[in-house]
This record gives sequence, structure tokens and C-alpha cells, in this order.
Amino acid sequence: MKKKLVSLVMVAAMAVSMVACGSASGSGDGAAKGDGVSITILNSKTEIQTQFEEMAEEYEANTGVHVEVYNADTDTTVASQVATRYASNDPYTLTMVDAKDIYSLADDYAYDLSNEDWASHTSVGITVNNKLAGFPFCVEARGILYNADAIKKVTGKDFDPSSVATLEDFKKLLDELVAGGMEAPVGILSEYWSLGAHWFPMVYEEQADPDAFVNGLLAGSEDLAGNEKFNSIMDTFETLVKYNYAKGAASNADREETSMKFAQGDIAFMFGGNWDWSVINQYDYTENLGMMPVPQNTTDGTNAKLVGGGSKYIFVDSSDATSEEQRQAALDFLNWLVSDAEGNAFLTEKCALVPAFDNIDASALDPLSLSVKSYADAGNLVANYNYLPDDHMTVVGQEIMQKYLDEAIDRAEVAKEVTEYFKTATPIAH
Amino acid sequence: MKTNTLGYKFRQYLLFAGVSTVIFASVVIIPFIYGLYLTFTSWDGVSRNKPFVGVENYVNAFGDSGYWVSLGRTFIYSAIAVVLVNTVAFIIAYMVTSGIKGQNFFRAGFFVPNLIGGIVLGYVWKFVFNKALLSLSNTIASGDAKSLLATETGAIAALIIVSVWQYAGYMMLIYVAGFMSVSEDVIEAAKIDGCTGTQSIIHISIPLMTASFVQCLFLTITRCFMVYDVNLSLTNGDPYGSSALAAMHVYNQAFINKNYGTGQAEALILFVICAIIGGIQVYVGKKGEVQA
Repeated sequence: MKKKLVSLVMVAAMAVSMVACGSASGSGDGAAKGDGVSITILNSKTEIQTQFEEMAEEYEANTGVHVEVYNADTDTTVASQVATRYASNDPYTLTMVDAKDIYSLADDYAYDLSNEDWASHTSVGITVNNKLAGFPFCVEARGILYNADAIKKVTGKDFDPSSVATLEDFKKLLDELVAGGMEAPVGILSEYWSLGAHWFPMVYEEQADPDAFVNGLLAGSEDLAGNEKFNSIMDTFETLVKYNYAKGAASNADREETSMKFAQGDIAFMFGGNWDWSVINQYDYTENLGMMPVPQNTTDGTNAKLVGGGSKYIFVDSSDATSEEQRQAALDFLNWLVSDAEGNAFLTEKCALVPAFDNIDASALDPLSLSVKSYADAGNLVANYNYLPDDHMTVVGQEIMQKYLDEAIDRAEVAKEVTEYFKTATPIAH
Repeated sequence: MKTNTLGYKFRQYLLFAGVSTVIFASVVIIPFIYGLYLTFTSWDGVSRNKPFVGVENYVNAFGDSGYWVSLGRTFIYSAIAVVLVNTVAFIIAYMVTSGIKGQNFFRAGFFVPNLIGGIVLGYVWKFVFNKALLSLSNTIASGDAKSLLATETGAIAALIIVSVWQYAGYMMLIYVAGFMSVSEDVIEAAKIDGCTGTQSIIHISIPLMTASFVQCLFLTITRCFMVYDVNLSLTNGDPYGSSALAAMHVYNQAFINKNYGTGQAEALILFVICAIIGGIQVYVGKKGEVQA
């Protein structure tokens, strides 16, 4: 009998411990429901998580609405985290995702935002099936970042980005920098997202009709190797590789190190976007930084434009798991971002983001964002192409462009492999 | 009270194992079956509708050359890592049971790497390979050496090195227990019969420790086949996707390429392969066990 009792106790202890493990993760919801309305946000722009949390506290103090900010896990994709929450019927009230995620999520889960006041102040919201589904959180653009102080130190002249719009002029400047003692003036990020989602897509985005071109590739009817834009972009890439400070061992160079060298003026140029500011400003950066278009020998005007547009979109959950009250609070929050001075300050001053709305004053931005803003205001942005197949980033970025960066394959092979890839790629319906 | 009726036995079962069965079913059995169901749909991972497509995902999985390449890579990685982990662990275990000074300190020291999570460990070693070792070799050989992580075979080698470092300490503990379980008198009897030290290890200790070997081999094989965390933080498939092991390929297929069904089917194939290898190994190992 005693034995039986002991085993009963053990069974009970085991069961209790298992149940205890299970409930620990679920207890967050109970705490979140205070007196007022409580909404949740998934923040997938992880570099601004701290600012987001501070803002949430102030927002609650002012409006009584409790905002719970979740930081997206950078080890997995945002889409998988959103999927998990929907699978457990506990979605975020507001979810921040990338532009392409909006298209797969909008039909099922996004609330129609077309009647919101801010809708008329932006041109980059995402509409899916006549439903304004994505609130553009910010504008981001890609180009060549330059450190004007580092250039001036070598050449002795003020740097004018428009003077190096063509590849020939850019090469001359690079040679001048090398002759002046800056051994390798360029940095290229070897991360596959930079190569596969930021650099290579310019080949499609700067075509006269990107959609037709990509469809042509998918159908196998487009000649990539002979394409003028492909060759122009790759000419510039080869130039960057030639002057890369990590030439020969490109994948040794990580993002932190390259950004540090750039900030301190050890290198003068790196390919990137205004989001790189969050890394650069951790270092001892020099004063005159900026962004310029990718130099190209072309007459189509793209060498006077940055590439970019709306980035990171927020959608409001339309499912029954979100109450009417919560939904209203979520809509109010989006309005607050656009039309309240404090909301504006959160976007532009605290997070240093380029706002996607024409009524927001953005003069307090960092130098990279100011460059983006000036190109955006002048209408000099080449639009993002959001319908690349999902595995484009890993296949083209990691398996093809990293080899090209390491000079393990030549341009003809790049064209061949990308063409091959598109033959088996799954197109994105749009 | 009758104790041999079905009802009684069932009540007894419920009393002792009921709660555990429910929990086990809800966190393991049901998700597994649901996962199996998902391999027959073309779900993208997020959408509400999960269109039924039959065995298409399995056809895709068998036709996905990237998957088989990564699986082949996983076989090579596992084979080398399993041998090295167990050799190193066995040698360390022998040393820390041989009565050297401070052996408890060494046991704890060798075990510590196992307490660090795989993700953290990957980042730490990334720094070691990319920065520390590189500047060391550049100072000594004064040249532009390439990081181990920047070459295709080097990245796999780096993965193996880190795995050995991580698991050897844990397996050492099991081998230590094995060494301790071999009773002194058997060893002593062998000595009297004229056995040398090496002979007594090979002919006495090792056969008596077969249970430890079976356990360690099973643990290392399954862990190596399923490794993901170190793979992610140390190489993330770089360079050129040449170091992506099977689990990483499955993850990318499901969540980055948004082919959830195909990814799930590939995961199932990986599971079956792993289960077969693990099963055979345990079966063969158990047959070889001897009693003192």
C-alpha cells in the first residue's frame, strides 16, 4: 500500500509540473487586461523595440489604452510568428510585416483601412482587392552610402554625389581615393538579404516594366545575360567588388564591422539603405554622411534615383479574436502616429524613420534619412518590386550572389543560374 | 475487489497514467498527426484555407534536389561528428576517472559547454573563427588568411568542431558513469591474470560499458541529424548555402519559401530516416551487451 501511495504522489507531482510548465506561457494575457482597452502590437522592426516600449508607456499614460509591444524573434520569419498566433486564435491587434506578407495575409486577416483620415496623406499604402490593408510605417530606400568627410580628407574637395552619377566618374574617384592612401574605399555586406533582396532586385526594379520582365524570366523567354540593365548593375557590382576592403574574403566581413569602418571613415562607400543608420550611429561616426544613387553608365535616369518606397506595413486584425473596442483603439493608435505631434515625434525623432505621410515634418532626421526624404520628395524613387518568389532571397542571394561576391563564378554563370532558378520558381499571385 | 477485470485495470491506468496520457497526447501525438495531415495540403503557413493536394508534397520533396544535397551533407557531418564526439568523450572520461588530481574540477569544466545554449554558442564561436583565430593567424603568418567559415568545407568543419566541443562533455558524463559501474574486483582479477592497462580497457571495461556506448551513440546520432541552432547562428548556410543541414533546409522550405506542406513532408522523411538509424543502432547495440 505504501508503495502505491508513493507512486501516486509521484504521478501527481509529474502532472503538476507539466501543467505548471504549460500555464506559465499563457499567463501574459491575464496581466495585459487592465482597466482600459488593451491592444497588442508585433514590432518586426526590432532595432526600434526600446523606443516602441517607451512610447507605449507614454501612450497609456495619456490615453488609458494599454499597448503591449512584442518584439519579433529575429531567428525566425515574421510570417511564421504571425501564423503561430493565428493558429492559436490569439492574433496581435496590430501586426507589422513586410510589404510582401501583406499580400498573403490581407484577404483573411486584414481590416479595411480606406476610411481612415490618414489614407489621403500617403501614396504608398498597400491595397489588396480594393481593401486598403497596409498602413505604411515608414519609407526606406537603397543606394550607396557615402562618407563625405572621408572623401574630403583624401581629395581635399567637398564631395558632390551628383558628380559620380556615371560609373566612369565613380571609378575615377575610387582610383583617386586609392592613390591618396585609402587602400580599399568600398564595403559590401555579404549577408544574403543584402545581396538577394536589396542589390539584385534592382535588375528588375529598374526595367521599364518590372512585372513583364519578371514574368518573362518565369516563362523562360527573357534573355538575362544580354539584358542591358542586368549588365549595367553587374558592371557597378564588379567595380564595388574590385575596391572592396574585404576582397577575397568577402564573407569574413560582417555587417557590424563594415558599418563601423564606414562610420569612422576607413572606407568611403558602402551599399545599403537608411536603415543602416541604427547600426552606424552606434559607432563614432563623422558628421557628413549621406546616400546617393547607385552609379551606372546609363541614360535612363535611374542613376539619379534611389530605389525604395513604403517599408514595414501594419495591418489591423479583422478576426473575431479582436473586439470592436480593441479594433477602434488600434485605429486610433494609427491615427495618433500620423496626426498627433507626439506620434510624429515618435516616428521621426525617436525612431529616426522617414514618414510615409506628407503632413509630417521630418527635418530632425538623421543624414541618411534626410537623403531619402529629399529624393522621395522630388519623386526620385524607383519603386520596390514586391512580387519576387519567396525563395529568391536565399537562392539568388546566398547560392548565387555570394559566389559572385567571392569571385568564385563570373557574370555569365550568374545570368545562367538566375535564369535556371526562375524556371522552377513559384510565382507570387498578384 | 476483483483485480483482474478490464474495468479495474482501466481505472488503475487512468489513476496512474491518465493525466500524463492526456498531456502527452495533446503536446506530442495530436500535433504529430496534425502535422502528418498538413503534408497532404498546399498550405502556405499563414492562410486560413489548406487545400488538399494528396501526395504532391512528397513528390516535390523527392524532387527537391536541395533537400537531398543537404541530407547528404547531414550524413557526412553526422558520421564525422558522432565518431569524434564519442572518441573525445571516451578519452576524457577515461582520464577523469583515472584518479588524476582535481578530476572533479575537470569533469565540471568539460561539462560546462553543454550548459550554453546552441544559439549563443554559435555566436561565440563565430567570433572565435572570424575574429580571434583570423587575427592570430594573420599575426603569425602575416597574410590574408580566410576564415574557416568563409570556405565550403571549412564551414562544415567548423560545425563539427563546435558540435564536438558542445557534446563531448555531456557524453563524457555517461562514459564516466560507465567506467564507475565496472567493479574494481573484475579489473583486479584481470590484473592478477596478467592484463596490461590497455588490455583491461579493451577486453574488460569496454564490453562491460556497452550500455553507455549504446546510449551515447543514440543521443549523438539523433542530435546531429536534427541540429539546427548551431547551424543557424554559426553559419546560417553561408557560404553560398553550402553549410545548410537538413533541418535548416526544412525550416527554410516551410517558412522562408512558404511551402509549408513540402517542408513538413521533408521533415517527416527526415524523422523516418532518423528513427530507422536510431532504431537499428539501439537494436544492434543491445544485442552486444554483456553482463559481468
